[in-house]
Amino acid sequence: MTLQQVMDTCGIEGVFVPDAQAAVTAAYTSDLLSDVMAHCPDGAVLITVQNHKNTVAVCTLVGAPAILVVHNREIPAEMSDVARREGVALLRTADDQFAASCKIAAALAKNS
Amino acid sequence: MSDAIQKATDAATGNEPLVLLELIQRLKVRDVMTSKLVTVSRSDTMHAVQELMRQMKISGVPVEENGRFFGLVSIDDIIRALGGGYINDACSKHMTTKLVVLEDDMPLSFALRYFDRYRYGRFPVLNRDQHLVGIICQRDINRALLVELTNELNRIESVSSHMPGADMAYSIYVLREFPICKYDFENAGKAANQIKQVLQEKKFPPKVIRRIAVAAYELEINLCVHSDGGVLSWQISNGRAEIIARDAGPGIEDVEWACRDGTSTANEWIRSLGFGAGMGLANVKRVSDEFEITSKKGSGTTVKSVINIAAPELSVS
Amino acid sequence: MTILEVSEVLKAEVLVKGEGCQKAIRHVVASDLMSDVLLVDEDDMLLLTSLSSDQVLRTAQIVGAVGVIVVNGKPLPSSMVNVAHDLRMTLATSPFSKYDACVAVYEALKLK
Repeated sequence: MTLQQVMDTCGIEGVFVPDAQAAVTAAYTSDLLSDVMAHCPDGAVLITVQNHKNTVAVCTLVGAPAILVVHNREIPAEMSDVARREGVALLRTADDQFAASCKIAAALAKNS
Repeated sequence: MSDAIQKATDAATGNEPLVLLELIQRLKVRDVMTSKLVTVSRSDTMHAVQELMRQMKISGVPVEENGRFFGLVSIDDIIRALGGGYINDACSKHMTTKLVVLEDDMPLSFALRYFDRYRYGRFPVLNRDQHLVGIICQRDINRALLVELTNELNRIESVSSHMPGADMAYSIYVLREFPICKYDFENAGKAANQIKQVLQEKKFPPKVIRRIAVAAYELEINLCVHSDGGVLSWQISNGRAEIIARDAGPGIEDVEWACRDGTSTANEWIRSLGFGAGMGLANVKRVSDEFEITSKKGSGTTVKSVINIAAPELSVS
Repeated sequence: MTILEVSEVLKAEVLVKGEGCQKAIRHVVASDLMSDVLLVDEDDMLLLTSLSSDQVLRTAQIVGAVGVIVVNGKPLPSSMVNVAHDLRMTLATSPFSKYDACVAVYEALKLK
């Protein structure tokens, strides 16, 4: 499934999408960066409320192509700067982590 | 850890329960002393004093004439007189004149300090005109405090109403202070949990409980994570709950920025513990009916949250 | 569905049975940030989290959650079990990831 398909299926806003055709093969939900580093699978969209530049850094380490920020949290300039530099997509939704996870799961299931 | 606790409690008024502190500041020496005095004059003998002590069961007799105070004869003085064979001397010869006296309009808290410092069993009490008006000993203090505390409790319990929780809301009910230490994650949040439990037992409206609990918890965590330690206190009176967080440092440089949603000075370690999202103060503001914050970089911060406990038509007895 | 029934779905070990263990769950929160959890104004909620600290339980008590399920199969510190007992809060630990737990819980609640 591509990032674009995820966004379309779930009605998610793309704040910064360097490559809309990037492959999304999984999803991971966590707000603890140590946990993301330890368990986030390659090719996952990270579902989190952590709107912080460190989140982007961790995603590049684990090979997660996109971050879905929940609760419509504002994406600070620092975070988008690093995202641009590292090529990590930033998405945003008004849903919380639970709802967002279920929607992404449904989309992934449909498209696999 | 005890240093940290000391620092935290220094930020408050002391270790005594607030009700007690208020009482010993409000009561004056004259409210507590014995004013029906048994006295002797300078020409009365030590023997006469001894007899008085035996009959009246007292341990100290002031020597005064027409209100003018000359000295004090204590049981020790009598014992010495008996031993020294001068029990029939005039008491003026053997009374203690170098005395520490209290003034009748001094607050009781003063008197307590004197008792602590001087270790005498009793103090003569003089009024502004330097006339002897009473004598105060430890027993008087204990008796007075017991009576006043009982009155206070009766007053609190007698305020009646039909709404659950409101009798507590409308009495002046000074509650607890909790010292909070920096980075003490073992205890962080405990105070707020306790506050919530008390509110639940008193059957406050659930929405109100929630707001008070959230404000208390966020303020408590702030003290733990961002301050050098401080005190979280809360009280309920006149239909309002007040939660106050006070610390002695490090102070907030930009208060407006700190209260904004999503802004935080937390480091990575703090975030890894689930804190530092920068929502704390904004959250407190959100649940409060009144919100006050004063802070200066380099000195302390005080945050006050007020939540109204709605109970409109209540008559306070 | 109660937290005990959800625990079965999540293959979770229930360490402490609290006061709310027979209540029907009406809302699910999947967050690791305490302030985020405190924003939720719902009754009878279940907290799914990767964070294994005492504050998770204390936060859960503040918001009136029915219980906490810690995910990722993390071994929990004994202090957490003690705090759960003190607060009479149900505590369980599941080997599922938070993302998988969200999906599984959603499916189970849908069927009920």
